[in-house]
Amino acid sequence: MNKNSNLSIFFNGILKENPVLMLILGTCPTLATTSNVFGAFGMGVATLMVLVCSNILISMLRKIIPDNVRIPCYIVIIAGFVTVVQMLINAFFPELYDMLGVYIALIVVNCIILGRAEMFASKNTVIKSALDGLGMGIGFTLALCSIATIREVLGAASFAGIAIPFLADYKIEFFVKAPGGMMVYALMIALVYAITSGKGPKKKSFSCSGCPGANKCHSKECEKEDK
Amino acid sequence: MKKSIKSIVVLVVICAIVSVIMAITNYITYPIIAKNEQQRANGALLEVLPDGGSFEEFDISSYTLPLTVSDVYLAENGGYAIKLSTTGYSTGMVIMCGISPDGRVVGTKLVSSSETPAIGGVAAEAYREKVIGKDVSNIDGVDTVSGATKTTAAYRNAVKDALNSVIILGGGNVDLRSDEEILNDNLSEALPAAEGEFEKHFFVEETEGVDAIYLAKNNTGAVCVIGESFVAVDENGNVTGAFEESLAQTAISAVSMINSTTLSDIDLSAYENLPKHLVSAKRTDSGNYVMEIKGAGYGITGGDEYHPASGEYILIKVSMTKEGRVIDCLTLSQKETDGIGSVCAEESFYGQFDGKTPETYGEIDAISGATLTTDGYKKAIVRAFECVKIFEEVK
Repeated sequence: MNKNSNLSIFFNGILKENPVLMLILGTCPTLATTSNVFGAFGMGVATLMVLVCSNILISMLRKIIPDNVRIPCYIVIIAGFVTVVQMLINAFFPELYDMLGVYIALIVVNCIILGRAEMFASKNTVIKSALDGLGMGIGFTLALCSIATIREVLGAASFAGIAIPFLADYKIEFFVKAPGGMMVYALMIALVYAITSGKGPKKKSFSCSGCPGANKCHSKECEKEDK
Repeated sequence: MKKSIKSIVVLVVICAIVSVIMAITNYITYPIIAKNEQQRANGALLEVLPDGGSFEEFDISSYTLPLTVSDVYLAENGGYAIKLSTTGYSTGMVIMCGISPDGRVVGTKLVSSSETPAIGGVAAEAYREKVIGKDVSNIDGVDTVSGATKTTAAYRNAVKDALNSVIILGGGNVDLRSDEEILNDNLSEALPAAEGEFEKHFFVEETEGVDAIYLAKNNTGAVCVIGESFVAVDENGNVTGAFEESLAQTAISAVSMINSTTLSDIDLSAYENLPKHLVSAKRTDSGNYVMEIKGAGYGITGGDEYHPASGEYILIKVSMTKEGRVIDCLTLSQKETDGIGSVCAEESFYGQFDGKTPETYGEIDAISGATLTTDGYKKAIVRAFECVKIFEEVK
């Protein structure tokens, strides 16, 4: 399979390079918004939209943006899209807006988005970047939703706010609290590693050149790659 | 140089473009967001006043409203939604009350409270139905829920405050004083020299025609409550103010009697068979008795026997004629359940014993929800009757 085929770029984000479960990015919103499925789905979709839009725009501008101001440019673009998404959610899904609260605004600093801009969109064509954003976004949404499903069903005896009657007497509130979130998250990571049997991205496949700190980094591997 | 200028230009252009995109989105979404927020704020108000339409906050700074009123919203239809915060069994009971333009309660809602969930919390929820349709004239007639008297009384009083507020906001006058404040104002008016400090006199003699006597704490005189009149008698025994001759005479003789009465201690060890509940007894020169006696309330286990260590007794002060008729009765101390058995410390309860004899005391009903306390109290009065009998027999 051609590593760079459009299809594989799309599917990479869902499992093999799943941002949450394989790259361990965006852990803050993962823990904070997965106490119920509705919130997790909303967060996932909001992030997906920002991710696709910013990937497309950054890819379009990749030849114009000078290297030394690329991070401020990415941040401005991402922050702009996040603000737009925030306003849209507030206007059309006020309930979701109340639930996610500050975490919508915090999508700006979600490292998945900046990470994809830096690692992928700045080096690839618009179509590939869009597919990458879509795949990563769906991967993020799926990971969030699966963690949220476990936490909500076990912890609150409901799914997306709909009560599950026969579980009502067996709620384990631990799961909707932060420690429960961490535990479920860790188990999910373990599960995905077991499924992919360690075929996840090795450090090399990120390549040091994609690292924002590459110029200043003195690790042996990094210097070796520079040569 | 050229490179850095390019960086600046690119960054500025990107910022400008992003700003434009945000401005457009804001232009589209702002009216929707504003409408949503308005609706959200109105949601609680519409719940208590469904016909209200839209609401706007009413500036209450220029009015003197009951202290419980925290916010007032004027509805489109002329009604009011009033937010009240009061104290039931514990502080922080927030109630929203909707009042129609004609001054009736349309709906109330317990917004938040820290009442006992199973008792006061449930009662307040059930009670909110009871006050619907009431106006200021009949709100006092709504019964409290027994077992949750404090919560429901606070609820009712808060709703009454809301009704009064609407009258005040409409330009009317409402007497916001509590019963105690009204009494104290009346007493002070009758006897300004007392500077508002009065103490209720505990009767040890039967005083015909006088309902109560309040002594000035600074010894400047006394005020006799005779029916609706407050007759002040100064320290020299003269009535101040213009009253009918008969009223003035009654007051003067009552005050001179209470001033001339002397009490002598009775040595309890000289008597056999006295109930151990009796703490102390005194005899007046006219032969009446003043006793302090303990009543076994909710806190006492072990039946009628006296158990000094089993808990807190209710300490009752009672005066009786030698024939065994209650002259006056007062609860000195009690540790019954706050809000339930503690009614025994209220005058509305112990005042009922005045004039009762062993034959008629049974007319006093136990208070439902506080049966143990009130029954124990009645038993204590019965013991006091027995004590008087023993004192009289020996004499």
